Amino acid sequence: MVLLAKAALGVTGTLFVAGAYTFHEGVIRIDVDEHRAGGSHVHMWVPAAAVPMAMHLVPQKHLREAAKHSREALPIAHAIVKQLKRYPNVDLVEVVHGKQHVQIRTHDGKLQIDVQAPDEQVHLLVPLSTLDDVTRQLEDSAPRA
Amino acid sequence: MTSAKQDRWLHVRVISSDAKGETVRVNVPLELAEKVLPAINHDRLHGGKVKIVCAHVNDVDLRVMMDAIRAAKDGEYVTVQGTDNDVRVAKQDNHLIVHVLDKGKSKRSQVEIKVPMKVIDALFSAGKDELDLVAALHALSAAGDTELVSVKDNENTVKVWLDSKNVTD
Repeated sequence: MVLLAKAALGVTGTLFVAGAYTFHEGVIRIDVDEHRAGGSHVHMWVPAAAVPMAMHLVPQKHLREAAKHSREALPIAHAIVKQLKRYPNVDLVEVVHGKQHVQIRTHDGKLQIDVQAPDEQVHLLVPLSTLDDVTRQLEDSAPRA
Repeated sequence: MTSAKQDRWLHVRVISSDAKGETVRVNVPLELAEKVLPAINHDRLHGGKVKIVCAHVNDVDLRVMMDAIRAAKDGEYVTVQGTDNDVRVAKQDNHLIVHVLDKGKSKRSQVEIKVPMKVIDALFSAGKDELDLVAALHALSAAGDTELVSVKDNENTVKVWLDSKNVTD
């Protein structure tokens, strides 16, 4: 009985630590709602820490290919993300046009992009630390000149 | 809502008075722009410097002209009053000031540009036929709160200004 309790405690502890680690960087949240016939509704919550880990499982040739295609943009994206981490709560861009509203800002260390239009709504929330990890990993995968 | 450190922010606001009333607001920390610009290597922009292949615009050497303005005292350098446009270029309190009034019948517009001379100096501090944008941004960050560009016409109002707030008014 004591052995069983110890095993249960071990499993629970491991699950708790794994859960805490997985969610320590927050979650990536993607919400897409198309308000029209046949429109899609996508709602995703992904632990942010899982993305850099998953990237280690992607075959190197695919990462190299992705890095090659975004060769010019990657250093810029990385520089922007690295700097944005210094500004965890700021409004960067806001565009209002009739009933359309686009907002890009950082909120609690996450990049938040909201698009609201009469026929669709898109909300994206990604931790800046995750974007930093992803852009850095892609840069490291880029073929050397 | 201001950052703990006194960061300098560049703001752009465009307000359109058309039926849909478009509004664009952009807030950029100057330091971010300073750090990101050198990462952009595209076309004539490399390492935060942009190549100007036509520094002799209409047979006017921009660099020589800027040197002359820098050395000169405050005053009006160019005043043109035409039927279509009024143009005024002046140096005042260490700022280069450009006013353009387009008196076009269909679309009357007014452009006002006010740039600290130190920013102009930094801009032309790179080699020949180059503008150092990063140096200009750095010089701008040392400037006080100021309105840099203002454009007004029948349909749009554009304002570019610098201050220490991370939100637009």
